[in-house]
Amino acid sequence: MSESRRMLAEMADPLFAELGPDATGESDGARIDELGLPLLLVPESEGGFGGDWLDALTVFRLAGYHALGPDLPAQIVGRVAEAGSPRQFALMAFARTAQIAGALDAALALSVGYVNERRQFGRPLGKFQAVQQALAGFAGEAAAANCAAVGAAQALDREDAAFEIAAAKLRANRAVEIGTTVAHQVHGAIGFTQEYGLHPLTRRLWQWRSEFGNDAYWSRELGSKVVAAGAVAFWPDLTARTG
Amino acid sequence: MQTFVTEAVDWPDNAAALREQVRALVAEHGERDPVRRANSWTKADPEFSRRLGDAGLLGMTWPKEYGGHERSQLERYVVIEELLAAGAPVGAHWIADRQSGPLLLRLGNEELKRRWVPAITRGEAFACIGLSEPNSGSDLASVRTAARRDGDEWVLDGQKVWTTGAHVSHFMIALVRTEAGSERQQGLSQLVVPMDAPGVSVKPIIDLTGAHEFNEVFFDNVRLPANALLGVEGEGWRQATAELSLERSGPERYLSSMVLFLELVRHARTENDPALVALVGRLAAEAWTLRLMSASVAAKLARGEDPALEATIVKDLGNSYEQAIPQLVQAAVDFGAADTEVLRSVCFYLLQVSPSFSLRGGTREIVKGIIARGLGLR
Ligand SMILES: Cc1cc2nc3c(=O)[nH]c(=O)nc-3n(C[C@H](O)[C@H](O)[C@H](O)COP(=O)(O)OP(=O)(O)OC[C@H]3O[C@@H](n4cnc5c(N)ncnc54)[C@H](O)[C@@H]3O)c2cc1C
Repeated sequence: MSESRRMLAEMADPLFAELGPDATGESDGARIDELGLPLLLVPESEGGFGGDWLDALTVFRLAGYHALGPDLPAQIVGRVAEAGSPRQFALMAFARTAQIAGALDAALALSVGYVNERRQFGRPLGKFQAVQQALAGFAGEAAAANCAAVGAAQALDREDAAFEIAAAKLRANRAVEIGTTVAHQVHGAIGFTQEYGLHPLTRRLWQWRSEFGNDAYWSRELGSKVVAAGAVAFWPDLTARTG
Repeated sequence: MQTFVTEAVDWPDNAAALREQVRALVAEHGERDPVRRANSWTKADPEFSRRLGDAGLLGMTWPKEYGGHERSQLERYVVIEELLAAGAPVGAHWIADRQSGPLLLRLGNEELKRRWVPAITRGEAFACIGLSEPNSGSDLASVRTAARRDGDEWVLDGQKVWTTGAHVSHFMIALVRTEAGSERQQGLSQLVVPMDAPGVSVKPIIDLTGAHEFNEVFFDNVRLPANALLGVEGEGWRQATAELSLERSGPERYLSSMVLFLELVRHARTENDPALVALVGRLAAEAWTLRLMSASVAAKLARGEDPALEATIVKDLGNSYEQAIPQLVQAAVDFGAADTEVLRSVCFYLLQVSPSFSLRGGTREIVKGIIARGLGLR
């Protein structure tokens, strides 16, 4: 990770953690504005932060990780794409992908922490193989969503990323299902309460899966591209996108 | 928590040229039968392996001194993903090029290296993996096959099973007990066993498709020179399990059913069925993601890191993906329709072999157990 991106993360992380899911007031928004975050993608020449898409990924992912109340990703994207345009839709799909990736990692961390603490039958739940296997599956899904988000960010920095955004949002959407299911299952009843911090993550995950293209939408988009290009082109096209 | 930190993969500058080289070679000498292009890394074609050797595409990263080509890990990655995506018959040399060669170079004594490594790079020496035994499957630390010292020699007795390619291989790297009375992970060592050594016998095991890919291998009073010991006596467990992390994340862990996916794309073009288009989209998204994950592990390995958790995640997700493809194709395609013969035969072939995807190289349960340990759960 580049130095400037690390600094960005170190700045955003504690603030988002502090603001958390309930921050919606004006003063909360002002604290985000103070750091210049809404101008993340605006070029330096225009008074912005001059960030690239990997920088955006870092911020979006952390916004997801902390289930940040204000829709900062929408503000950031709003500065570089016209509301309602196809580009804004695609960029927001990317933003939601990154938020899903972050929220899945947070829900996973919460789940792992919980099963190591909570004891039943005389030992921590995390010692039971059924629990371990379920969480291992969850970890794979979280990993896939994170890799997909990185791949889409890299593509955005390179060129037209229509293919990658479609693939990444679809993959992240699919990860929501296993992630939220396992997270709630291993938490038992406590995870079903308003007091406990799981639902701010899982409820957003369910929301983000629908927003800016659900599974059906993106599989249609991506599928028609691939089918139109044909079987012979699939692999050469896929590799030409990266190297 | 971040389970999988991906960084930009710096693909080699000459990647495009390498891809062209491999594609041309496969177009000329590869496998034409689509069924045999499925799961192609178990299809042995020694002639094809020799051609790869001639083209400088085996032992690519190894020192020139031993016949290697001193190219980068990612150049090799480009070559193997091209071979697998095209369903090339790479089974004969696969194990030797992927793990036995690197293991010999890392741990082998000079005689072992001279004897085997240059021949591997020419596509003339093939290797097999001797881990599993009749009573040692997932519980690998229970191996019983034993070697005892007799003067300057090792004397080997016992049995390995499920040994892929033993019948076309020239040597095996076997995990055996070298300390009598030792338990579990202690007292194990790795030995390099020439398959033509007196006392080694190979008995085919025919798999459920009728194919002969794996075998039983018996050792009856096999005498090996002292230098057959690979690495350090008693360190076999550590050496063998390090080897496993090398083999977990390669593109062979998600590409075994690629040929079926491509047949599905072909079929979807002629049908006008939104369900097929959607399935193509879903499987393409997964392929794209898995390729990034697998390549990103390769990039970390190339930098000398040991991304063991990431590698294991790639195997788990990749195996599930290549296993799901035939099931999903069967669920979506009407095999009674015209022009579905090829799709159908590839699909039914893969339905039959796909159970092995989450067994070989460590079962799904064992792999998930390793991931769980990586998460701090064990
Ligand atoms: C096609 C193919 C090729 C192979 N090639 C080779 C080769 O070249 N060389 C080689 O050495 N081996 C090879 N193997 C063997 C392979 O490594 C073993 O099949 C594998 O390690 C599992 O061992 P097993 O078959 O004895 O199953 P078992 O260990 O008996 O397991 C049976 C089932 O029980 C589950 N299980 C076992 N222990 C546990 C546990 N503690 N917790 C939860 N579940 C558990 C397993 O996950 C599995 O689902 C090959 C296997 C196949 C299918």
